[in-house]
Amino acid sequence: MSKVKVYSTPTCPYCHLVKEFLHQKHVEFDDIDVAADHDAAREMIGKSGQMGVPQIEINGKIIVGFDKPAIEKELENL
Amino acid sequence: MVLVMKEYDTIIIGAGIAGLTAAMYAARKRMRFEIVSTDFGGQFMVSGEVLNYPGLVKASGIEFRSIMQKQMEFNKVNVLIETVREVRRRGADFKVMTDKSEYDTKSVIIATGSLPRKLNVPGEERLDKKGVTYCSICDGPLFAGMDVAVVGSGNAALEAVDFLKDIASKIYLVIRGDRLKGHEYLQERLKENPKVEILFNAQTTEILGDGLVSGHKYKQNGEEKKLDVGGVIIEIGRIPNTEPFKGLVELDEDGHIKIDCQCHTSVPGIFAAGDCASGHEYQYVISAGQGCMALIKAAKYLANLKS
Repeated sequence: MSKVKVYSTPTCPYCHLVKEFLHQKHVEFDDIDVAADHDAAREMIGKSGQMGVPQIEINGKIIVGFDKPAIEKELENL
Repeated sequence: MVLVMKEYDTIIIGAGIAGLTAAMYAARKRMRFEIVSTDFGGQFMVSGEVLNYPGLVKASGIEFRSIMQKQMEFNKVNVLIETVREVRRRGADFKVMTDKSEYDTKSVIIATGSLPRKLNVPGEERLDKKGVTYCSICDGPLFAGMDVAVVGSGNAALEAVDFLKDIASKIYLVIRGDRLKGHEYLQERLKENPKVEILFNAQTTEILGDGLVSGHKYKQNGEEKKLDVGGVIIEIGRIPNTEPFKGLVELDEDGHIKIDCQCHTSVPGIFAAGDCASGHEYQYVISAGQGCMALIKAAKYLANLKS
């Protein structure tokens, strides 16, 4: 299992940008579609208390939204 | 050693449809220019589907962005991801200051678009991304099987209802006035949908929830009422993204940059286009047209400076 998880929905443009960004950085990640997987959606909301996507989990830390500097900072600690 | 500062013909601020169209024309005119923006893609990024752009039958916002990206690559336009802090006048020229750099330029094209308008009611900020959203296509799928409230009466609100029709159980459309304002085809779709209940003359007063959204309070005909909903989607219009330009160019009462029909602002050499400018109708095709107009008029302005 990857150390990075992306909780996303297929229609969310910012989710696409996050995944594009991680691909560019050659970071492997699990892509979790919370529109299709309702258990995963509940898990995501339970972890962060937030209902917005994308949410990126890196080393157990959750980043909400396509916050490039925050993602880059966490990736340094991988 | 002599430090040579590069001076640009134009700096385009914003990379939505208006800014990207201006950049494409600037590239083809071989102008010395840069396009700077906080991100690539403007309002069309969060569009569910684009159905009224000439030459394009149907595309999602993501597909539209991808086409625009290819078009920029084809025209060798590279968008610099920077945030503009200020534009200063330097005689007849300008200095554009961003969080990363400074650009000396003879003209400026402002195409910074707009931001979602907020309701400014209790609970809205606290429950943002906790059931309150301004992007139905992003967060809408999380409302699967729930009852939701969509606040607004224009195209964006009606599009949100349409997007949620196969996701939510029940959709309350909360409208402050007494009529729908969006495109007729969207109104038709909405009226055919048994899941939708329209609440006219309903003013949102509070969004309720402890942790996540659990309700929506509103006032209708002087009476306080409540909806038990798990999501509140706010689509009540947009405000222009013109904060850095206050005091530089004339703005209208809503903060849009005042332009004439040729995209001239109150300052010679500064042009504006798209949703940040007065006369906007929040339509992609108008933004594209104005982006083109602004660039061509900027090129004429530069030619006049030389002659």
